Amino acid sequence: MVILDGVSRIYKHGQNIVRALDRVSLRIEDGEFLSIAGPSGSGKTTMLNLIGCLDDLDEGELYIDAHPVGAMSSKEKTAFRRNNLGFIFQSYNLIPVLSAFENVSFALELLRIDHTAIEEQTYSILAEVGLSGLEGRRPRELSAGQQQRVAIARALVKEPKLVLADEPTANLDSKTGEEIIALMKAMNERRKTTFIFSTHDAMVMEHAHRLVMLHDGSVVSDEHRRR
Amino acid sequence: MFIVGLAVKNLSRYTRRTIITALAIAVGITMYIIVDSLLLGVELESERNLKWYETAYLRIHTTASWEDRLFLPLDDAIEEPLPIIAMLTQRGYRAVGRTRFGATLILNGEEYGEDGYIPVIITAIGEDDGLVYRFGESLAKERFFAPGEMDGLVLGSWLAEDIGAKVGSTMTVSARGKGGFYEAFDAQVVGLVNCPNPNVNRTLVMMDIQAADQYLAMEGSVTSIDIRIPDKLDVEAARKQIQQQLDPSLVVLSWKDLAQDYLALVSAKQGGSYMILALIFIIAAVGISNTMLMAMYERSGEIAMMRAIGMGTGPLWAAFLLEAGLIGLLGSVIGSLFAFVANLYLVEIGADFSFMLRNVDMGFRISGVMYGAWSLASFIIAGIAAVALSMLGAVLPIRRALKGSVVRTLGRQ
Repeated sequence: MVILDGVSRIYKHGQNIVRALDRVSLRIEDGEFLSIAGPSGSGKTTMLNLIGCLDDLDEGELYIDAHPVGAMSSKEKTAFRRNNLGFIFQSYNLIPVLSAFENVSFALELLRIDHTAIEEQTYSILAEVGLSGLEGRRPRELSAGQQQRVAIARALVKEPKLVLADEPTANLDSKTGEEIIALMKAMNERRKTTFIFSTHDAMVMEHAHRLVMLHDGSVVSDEHRRR
Repeated sequence: MFIVGLAVKNLSRYTRRTIITALAIAVGITMYIIVDSLLLGVELESERNLKWYETAYLRIHTTASWEDRLFLPLDDAIEEPLPIIAMLTQRGYRAVGRTRFGATLILNGEEYGEDGYIPVIITAIGEDDGLVYRFGESLAKERFFAPGEMDGLVLGSWLAEDIGAKVGSTMTVSARGKGGFYEAFDAQVVGLVNCPNPNVNRTLVMMDIQAADQYLAMEGSVTSIDIRIPDKLDVEAARKQIQQQLDPSLVVLSWKDLAQDYLALVSAKQGGSYMILALIFIIAAVGISNTMLMAMYERSGEIAMMRAIGMGTGPLWAAFLLEAGLIGLLGSVIGSLFAFVANLYLVEIGADFSFMLRNVDMGFRISGVMYGAWSLASFIIAGIAAVALSMLGAVLPIRRALKGSVVRTLGRQ
C-alpha cells in the first residue's frame, strides 16, 4: 500500500518557486492498476519519482508498505528500490551490449541470489512477456515493442510489489502501445503487482482501473473504474 | 562476476575509441620499456667497460695519493707492491701494479703540421696487465710495447686521430719524476687501441712500466695496485676484506669510488628519463580520462537506470574502474608486445649511436652500439602502472557521473 499524506515537492528556479506537487494526499491499494494523467508540468513524473524513492519530498509524508520514505537515507532508498520496486522507462534504458536475457537478469544480479534461480526466473519472465527464443538478442536486434517488453520483464523479474512506469508507451506506435499496456495489465492481474504509470495517451488511460488527474501539482480528479 | 562481464562487454561498445586509447597507453609502455632497457643495457656495459679498461674492480692507493689524486703524485706511491700482489694472488684475486702520471706530449710541426703539445695521463703497465685489464683484445693496429722497451707508446685510436698520430709517429714526452725532477724522452707510437670504452679511446696513452720506472725514478714503486675479482663476488665485500689485510696507509677503492663522475651522470640521466616517462603516462592518463568522460556522458541514461533500479554507488564505481583498468590492461598487453619485439632487436642487434659518440662525450662507457637488456621488472612495473593510471584517470569522470541527479538525468531523456 502506498500512502501520500500532504506531499509537496518544491523547486526553486532563482526567485521563482514552483510547487511541482502541492500537498497531495492519495492512498493506493495493493494490486491497483493506476494511471496518473495530466498535461505537461502537472506533476506526473514528480509524483512517480517520489513514490519511486528517486526524489526527496519537501512536505508531508509518504509511506510504502508502512515504510516512511521521507525518513530514509540515500543508501536506504537505494536498497529499498533494489528490493521492492520495479521501473519501466519511456526510452526503455536497456544496456545495448547485453542480451535481452542479461538485461533482465541484471536486476536479479543486484540481489545477489543463487545463479540457478536467476536463470530460472529470467527465462520464465521472458516467456511470460512473449520473448521466448529472443533471449540472446541484443536490444538493437529487437523492435521497439520487444525492447519495452524486455524492460517490463526487467521490472517484474524480481517480483516487486510495486512497478512504476513513466510514459511507457510514449515511444511506441499505437498498436504496439496497446499491446504493451495489455501486457502490463495481464501482469497486474496474474501477479497482483501494483502498477502506477503516467501517461498522456487517452487509449492508455482507458485501460487503467483508476485514473488520477493532476493539474499544477494538485489532484483534480480521482476516478475508480470497473475492472 | 556480472560486473566483470559488463565491463568487458562495455569495451566492445566503442571499439575504435577503446583501441585508440589503448594504443596511446601502449606507446607509453613501449617507450618506458625501451628507455629502461637501453638505460639498463648502457649501465651494464658501462660498468663492465669501466672495470675492464678503466678502473679495474678494485684498486689500492696510498691514502695520501688518493687524497691528492687530482695531482697524480708520484711521491706517495706504493713502495713495496710485490708482497701485496702476492697476498692478493694467494687469496684468489688477480692483481697488477700500474703507474699513472701526468705528462705532456710535445708534437713536432714537421710531423704533425704545426708545433703543439697536449697534456695527458700516461699509464705505465707491465706484461702481466692482462690479468686484470683486457687491452690484449683491443689492439687495433700493430703491437704492444715489449717489456723494457724504452720508447714505445700505445695510444687510444681516437686520441691518435685527434692529434694526427699514426703507428710510427714520434713525439717527445715531458713529465716530472718522483722527487719532482723534470724528465723528457722521445717516444714512438707502436700501436693503437680501440676498445669498447670511448673514454679510453679518447684519452689513453700507455707505456712500459719498466721504462717508466727508469725515467721517473720510481725504484720499483707503483701508484696503484689494480685488482680483478671473480664476477660472482660482491665488490664491496671483497673491498672490505682486502682493506682489513692492509696497512692503514693504504686504501682500497671500488670501481664505484673511482667512477663517481659516471655514477652521478647515470643518476641524473635516469632522473631525466623518468621525467619524460612520467609525461608520457600523464598524456595516456588524460587520454583515458577523456575516453571515460565521453563514455559516461553517452551512458548517462543507463547509469541513471542502474542507479534507479538499486545498483549502489560501490558496484557502479567498481564496474567503471574495472572498465578503465581493462583499457589499461589492453594497452599494457599491446605495449608489452611492441616492447618485446623492439627490445629483442635492441638486445640482439642494438642501436648504432657511433656517429654521436665519436664527437660527443655522453659520459657512458659504451661502444658506438647501444644494446638493450631484458628486465622483467620493467614489464611488470609498466603493466601495473598502466592499469593503475588508467583507473586513476577514470576517477574524475566516474565521480562526476555518479554525482548527477538520477531524476534530472532521466528527465532529460
